[in-house]
Amino acid sequence: MTSPTPIINIEHISKIYEMGDEKVYALRDVSLTISKGEYVALMGPSGSGKSTLMNMLGCLDTPTSGRYEFNGANVNELDDDELAEIRNREIGFVFQTFNLLPRATALSNVELPLVYSGMKADARHRRAAETLASVGLAERTGHKPNELSGGQRQRVAIARALVTQPSIILADEPTGNLDSKTGQEIMALFDELYRQGNTVILVTHEEDIARHARRIVRLRDGLIESDKSNGASA
Amino acid sequence: MNAAESIAIALDAVRAQKLRSGLTLLSISIGVFAIIASTGITTALQNAVNMQMATLGEHSFLIQRTPTLTFGGSWRKYMRRKPITLEQARQFRDRMTLTNLISISNTNPSYVIKAGQTSTDPDVALIGADDLYFNVNAVNLSEGRPFSLHEGEQGGNVAILGNDVVVKLFPRGGAVGSTVTIRNQTFRVIGILEVRGGVMGQSQDNRVLIPMPIFDRYFTWEWDRSVDVSVKAASAEALPATVDEATGILRALRGVKPWEENTFELDTNDALTAQFSGFSVALLAVAWISGIGALVAAGIGIMNMMLVSVRERTREIGVRKALGARRAWIVRQFLIESVTLCQLGGMAGTAAGIGTSWAVTTLLRNTGMQTLVFDMPWGAVIFSVVICTAIGIGFGLYPAFRAASLDPIEALRYE
Ligand SMILES: Nc1ncnc2c1ncn2[C@@H]1O[C@H](COP(=O)(O)OP(=O)(O)OP(=O)(O)O)[C@@H](O)[C@H]1O
Ligand SMILES: [Mg+2]
Repeated sequence: MTSPTPIINIEHISKIYEMGDEKVYALRDVSLTISKGEYVALMGPSGSGKSTLMNMLGCLDTPTSGRYEFNGANVNELDDDELAEIRNREIGFVFQTFNLLPRATALSNVELPLVYSGMKADARHRRAAETLASVGLAERTGHKPNELSGGQRQRVAIARALVTQPSIILADEPTGNLDSKTGQEIMALFDELYRQGNTVILVTHEEDIARHARRIVRLRDGLIESDKSNGASA
Repeated sequence: MNAAESIAIALDAVRAQKLRSGLTLLSISIGVFAIIASTGITTALQNAVNMQMATLGEHSFLIQRTPTLTFGGSWRKYMRRKPITLEQARQFRDRMTLTNLISISNTNPSYVIKAGQTSTDPDVALIGADDLYFNVNAVNLSEGRPFSLHEGEQGGNVAILGNDVVVKLFPRGGAVGSTVTIRNQTFRVIGILEVRGGVMGQSQDNRVLIPMPIFDRYFTWEWDRSVDVSVKAASAEALPATVDEATGILRALRGVKPWEENTFELDTNDALTAQFSGFSVALLAVAWISGIGALVAAGIGIMNMMLVSVRERTREIGVRKALGARRAWIVRQFLIESVTLCQLGGMAGTAAGIGTSWAVTTLLRNTGMQTLVFDMPWGAVIFSVVICTAIGIGFGLYPAFRAASLDPIEALRYE
């Protein structure tokens, strides 16, 4: 757990939602450091702040207070477009509900982040096709999402997250909408990405899923309850 | 890839919301239609005026029962006028003292000319002319001879062909001296008109001249027996006096009381221009103002469609932002979509506008304004593309910026 290069460093972060007079503390004074090449599971009961923390780490959301350093850059000071650029280059998102564009083919979906990074069409097609092949979908590049199974859709989403070769991969309940067998197949894919040296952070409330990670961070009521390395792992 | 995708999404939105999109696109179509049709029709009228001015020389004027251009309710007034008969025109010619360059002619469209087994399309203009027709109207021959005084006054089965007719009927030459048939009457070809080319798209060569008395006897429609009289003044200075003399003589011949207005039209180039520009300015103003009004209303409709589109695709916008789309990308995507919608309506309006101005032009030509020519209103077409783009951008901006400033998390969570 004492890896040399911290990629994520948050200090005393809080996130407060104002609901009329009431204040909802989604995160209270959370500090966390994650290094390159780690495989982390965020766990905790519903409403404990997992997604809020994940969005923060993914530069989709900004904290109410506290400091967030990503790869040495102070995220608090970035504007919308600069955040978009970090998300585009450094972060790969995998969502519970896949969030593929329904009209677009698997290939176009995977290409999308490269469109936003300004890559030329030829290079883009090639890179997207290679990435789809690497998740076992070489034969499905021309399929629309509704022509793919749930597991295949999530593979497309993972390919889309990988295609820019980001610094970290963030997955919020990536197996939440899949049956357990398909879920395990997807987890095998994350394990493989980890072995190749990627930094993987995933949110789950299933112990079965969390077991794949090397480090488990447990949240409760917006606080970190425990942060342990996970010895018994595949 | 992205532009094509946005266009595809725009077309999808139209399909999904047929009624609402239909109404919005219709109002764009109406706006564009008003602009294109009015411009197309006025352009055609302008062509007619130009053509007449080209045929009337510098200091000539034309006397007709009805004006070249008739508008609105005055049509009935003109139709009540008695025709200017050949007899009356000849009396007029004999009484004129300031000039003797006076030609009596008449034109009817849509004749078929035959030579042996070959025949033309039924679109040849048949002109009854006299011997002075060529001088007064500056018409020259490339071959053969004009009508003689005798032919012009007494008639004779002789014809002079325009080049289009020659090309069609005598492709191997030898037209002069051959015979042609027009409605069962046979004519000997005595000359060929010099090629004049087109004035604003309509050929001036698709015509056949025959002596005026023959025309008047066999080829005049019963309801339109009126002839045209072209008068050439001795000089530009003599024009006003010649006009006065002609007006006086004709009023007397037609029995117009001193307090009544003329029962004929006497058009100099100046009069024609003034008459036309008053009309065209009015038509264009009305059509363009209402067209632009319809377009603004349509713009508001477009804005609504786009707001619905943004709301329906909130989640997609969230995904795009999560994947790193900058604000400008999102704005661009929705602007392409709204411009596509506008162009779609614009294209329908353009097609309808062009079709209508063509139809109106043809109708007016067949009801007596024989010199009307349809001309593609390219300027108005380009204008409508430009204005549709402007409306798409103008009214698409607010929805596009709304989309671009959505909070990515809220958007991703949207059901
Ligand atoms: N936009 C918001 N407005 C108000 N409260 C919010 C908002 N987003 C989250 N919260 C609150 O913050 C707390 C943490 O929410 P979060 O979504 O992070 O939980 P979670 O751990 O991901 O739960 P789950 O396992 O159900 O997904 C919850 O109490 C939630 O109601
Ligand atoms: Mg959650």
